[in-house]
Amino acid sequence: MTQKVLKVKDNDVLGSTNEFLRHLLSSGKIQALLVPQSIPSKKVVYPVLIADPKKLHADIIAPVLPVATATVVSKITKVQPPSKPIGVVLRSCQIRALIELVKLNQASLTNIVLIGVDCPGTFPINTYAGFPEKKTPTHFIIDAITKKTNDAEQYLRSACKVCKDPIPTNADIILGFYGTDIEKEIIVEAHSEIGKDLLKDLPLEDEKEGNAREKAVKEIREEKDKKRAMFLKEKEGIKGIEKVAEFFDKCVNCHNCRQACPICYCKECLFDSSVFDAEAYKFIRRAENKGLFKMPSDALLFQLGRMNHMILSCVECGLCEQACPNTIPLMEVFIPAAENAQKEFEYHPGKDKTEKVPMIVYREDEFLEVGEK
Amino acid sequence: MSKEFEPNILGFLCNWCSYAGADLAGTSRMKYPSNLKSIRVMCSGRVDPSFVLEALRKGVDGVLIAGCHPGDCHYQSGNYKTNRRIKLLKKLLMELGVEPQRVRFEYVSASEGQKFASIVTEFVAEMKKLGPNPITVDKK
Repeated sequence: MTQKVLKVKDNDVLGSTNEFLRHLLSSGKIQALLVPQSIPSKKVVYPVLIADPKKLHADIIAPVLPVATATVVSKITKVQPPSKPIGVVLRSCQIRALIELVKLNQASLTNIVLIGVDCPGTFPINTYAGFPEKKTPTHFIIDAITKKTNDAEQYLRSACKVCKDPIPTNADIILGFYGTDIEKEIIVEAHSEIGKDLLKDLPLEDEKEGNAREKAVKEIREEKDKKRAMFLKEKEGIKGIEKVAEFFDKCVNCHNCRQACPICYCKECLFDSSVFDAEAYKFIRRAENKGLFKMPSDALLFQLGRMNHMILSCVECGLCEQACPNTIPLMEVFIPAAENAQKEFEYHPGKDKTEKVPMIVYREDEFLEVGEK
Repeated sequence: MSKEFEPNILGFLCNWCSYAGADLAGTSRMKYPSNLKSIRVMCSGRVDPSFVLEALRKGVDGVLIAGCHPGDCHYQSGNYKTNRRIKLLKKLLMELGVEPQRVRFEYVSASEGQKFASIVTEFVAEMKKLGPNPITVDKK
């Protein structure tokens, strides 16, 4: 790993990161950059693919994740990966999701340069778009990183409050906000050969003395781990089929959560198919059996079925919860389920691209004893 | 007078092994409870966990999935995948507070009529002890 420092001019964090990204794009070594950027008339920051450095006005700090960026990268690379490198700026959860998609053969990392950014969390898209305060959401986050105020915390999405790991792993280049005063300096780390090569000719200063970054990263990870452990302890209560049914009571079976999920990639979802359709007499028989029958009846089946399909790869980005029109706090069920299921299979989604997804791995000892365990 | 509870068991049987195993049990006139209704699938790998959930919802008390022994799958790895999927399903059922014993995965080859009969006998007895499935919507 090489660590360098990007000097911030006049406390303008975004100006300086954009300057850095423009230099990166003009270097000729990458042909395009995927960055979070608001385009005119849009209030929200979307992933924008930029080929002309002059058009780059990114906001890599903007605390909003309207769509899964991993899905966007999958769209770009799935049919045919780019012939020359392109850089993609991603938060840690989206890098994890992208790595899962690569394992599931839904995306390629060929000629993809992963540029990870430290993520202090994101706001729900509606909060971000109609932000009630004078300061911009980005400034709220800068203040949170520099520890001036902690006002941003109240707006964070619940998934972000208990984020698994806000520091990107597996990135080629990391833009670090922790362990430095980002209004003066931003840490730029290269974690791979291509990352080192890209940083070589850019106007960066050499590494700082000391291990402030390492310490800050450890601190923030410990803090998040603690919050997550507390959350898991609190949410143990949703057990028993009645409680689960009650939890999903507001689910109208719209499948928005599936649409937003970076892991749900199937072209044709089982729950959109006619597999669970039935003849009229069966519905009437169900009504007759108990005297009544609630419709639509498939919401719980969809939720539990979807959970079965994707939970081992769940990166806890919380986009399902953001997409829910009826604000079901899905993470309260999905985070504990993911934690327990992944522990059972000793699997860490997004951690290692060479690790295979559990559904295609078999160990010899599993074959001895089947059934009850 | 109360009748003894007769559980409804659904079996997903692999075309290449377990279904033939069940056939063998029949032609050999082995006795096993008639509570099992079987569905022949081309591979145990065809069984999506959602089918099991749907079956439980629609009123069966237990689901048996039977596939080829390791190394014997007609399609190389369908039985391995089901093994893992069912393991995950049971884990999630446990999380949700539903008895994971209601789902069972077994290896039964075409020559194991006796094993098939004893698995069904044992499973039915277990479900009788466990009582009716609480999550059903289809039964009174």
